[in-house]
Amino acid sequence: MKNELSQVVDTLDGLVWTARADGRVDFVNRRWCEYTGLGIDDARDQGWQSVFHSDDLPALLNDGASSRASSQAHDTEARMRRFDGEYRWFLIRALPLKDASGEVVGWCGLNIDIEDRKRAEEALRISERELRELIDRVPGLLAVADSQGRHEYASKRTLAYTHNSLEQVRGLGFINSLHPDEQDRVRQIWLNCVARGEAMDVEHRMRRFDGVYRWFHTRVEPFRDEAGNIIRWYGLLTDIDEQRRVEDALRQREQQLSSAMQIATVAQLSASIAHEISQPLSGILTNASTCLRMLAADPPNVEGAIETARRTIRDANRATDVIARLRALFARKEGATEPVDLNEAARAVMAILHSQLQRNRIVARAELCENLPRVLGDRVQLEQVILNLLLNALEAMNDVDDRPKQLLVTTEREEGDRVRLTVQDAGSGFDDGALHKLFDAFYTTKNGGMGVGLAVSRSIIENHYGQLWAAPNQQGPGASFSFSIPRLPDTNQTSTTHVR
Amino acid sequence: MSVEADRAVKQPLVSVVDDDESVRESLPDLLREFGYSAQAFSSAEAFLSSDYVDHTRCLILDIAMPGMSGPELQRELARRRQALPIVFITAHKDEAIRRQLLDHGAVECLFKPFNEAALLAALHAALRVN
Repeated sequence: MKNELSQVVDTLDGLVWTARADGRVDFVNRRWCEYTGLGIDDARDQGWQSVFHSDDLPALLNDGASSRASSQAHDTEARMRRFDGEYRWFLIRALPLKDASGEVVGWCGLNIDIEDRKRAEEALRISERELRELIDRVPGLLAVADSQGRHEYASKRTLAYTHNSLEQVRGLGFINSLHPDEQDRVRQIWLNCVARGEAMDVEHRMRRFDGVYRWFHTRVEPFRDEAGNIIRWYGLLTDIDEQRRVEDALRQREQQLSSAMQIATVAQLSASIAHEISQPLSGILTNASTCLRMLAADPPNVEGAIETARRTIRDANRATDVIARLRALFARKEGATEPVDLNEAARAVMAILHSQLQRNRIVARAELCENLPRVLGDRVQLEQVILNLLLNALEAMNDVDDRPKQLLVTTEREEGDRVRLTVQDAGSGFDDGALHKLFDAFYTTKNGGMGVGLAVSRSIIENHYGQLWAAPNQQGPGASFSFSIPRLPDTNQTSTTHVR
Repeated sequence: MSVEADRAVKQPLVSVVDDDESVRESLPDLLREFGYSAQAFSSAEAFLSSDYVDHTRCLILDIAMPGMSGPELQRELARRRQALPIVFITAHKDEAIRRQLLDHGAVECLFKPFNEAALLAALHAALRVN
């Protein structure tokens, strides 16, 4: 039986040994000898200690002593020298042998080669360290979360930025660095994304080390293993505060400019407005005076008086029309989108400017394409753009005195299902250098005007998915300003919406 | 004295030149109520090519018109040595232009809308000059 047992012991895949109760080794198996290159006599008693790495031996002896004192097993990791001098890690497992009464009568042990595992652990540690170093090197704010969405790691920069320690951001702690108004929202979004396994894109404010809140865009993406399971989440925080403030400022400025353009346009139009209303008022006054005189005559000229009264009503209606048109043009109501006929819009604006054009001796002509397809847009805004272009053309020809002040408004179909409107003047034109400045919000060559019109006009046209541009005239002096916007498909052309 | 001549003295001819139709409609009636006789023309050219130039005792003239403007007609009449008192009327209120026109010999320049008292005063001044 002893032989069979010996065979088993020698076959076991581990280094087996036994020791007496006092710890002195009395047996080592064949594998032990093959591994160490020592014979059983060299290992006996305390001889075995020589194969252990000097750094690990003290701990091992300590554990052994503790075990003898407590009669408990112990597990110790220690390096053992191989026959060729190489040290390999082993797990030393020592177990007490007890007699019937529970007294320790000896020890037996199993040393298992864990070198490969140790190497793998070390490689992993290095790899983790390298990863963290990499994360720390990247010039961005990075963070890593586990598969459950709990923050695991944040790059040094991130921690420094928010003045947090890693402990403070772990789990869901990072939420505390967000602006109070955003904490619930972002937490909700984050947990949803984690639950659904979807990448998260969110904009939020985050507190900087000095207490200032800045806007950030955070994108977090899941990292999956080969089976498709999420093992980690990687996140990048980008400071978009500048950009955000610029966007906000731009939007505010646009609104201001839009109001400014309206005010400036009204100022430019004031002469036109006064004119439009003065004419009918003058007629009313004249006719009323005539009426009274006719009625005071002897005999009263009732027929004549009736005629003057009729004319008075007609003139009053004219004035009312003008007011209604102007009100519509400058109404501050919310933009309304509807099918718009650019021909009608052009005619309406030219009607409003009629007297002003005339007073300035402008020869205004319109060549409007028949059956011009309608476009989808805000009629009031589009009319404002046309108005702006016409006023600019008028202004451009102010100083012209050696040639007819020709102004031509054309509409046409443009390929690509678009509609184009052009205002061509015979003014002094502009040189190439001025071209790109033209649309600059406050660039103006006008003495009295604010040059806000073109910038806002372009913005309006772009909101209609169109383009606004300027070019010097091919033939003759002056310039042409054009805009083109997409047309409505044919099915939408016959709408019953009343367009003025 | 012939009937026409008699009428011409008692009812001096005031010619109105304005491209605005409602002015051409309403002003002559008021002038007739004042006791003048009146003719209306839609353009300076129409007036010049009419038979009424010599008979006109006073011209009520719009400033801004397509084609020949009011001031241009004033210059043309001066060139022809036609001494014709002119009362300009306009909807565009501009003191500088008014000053200019008066310096060039206009009797008055009224801004629309004007009341009948202002018109009457201007007509009296114009015919006194004659």
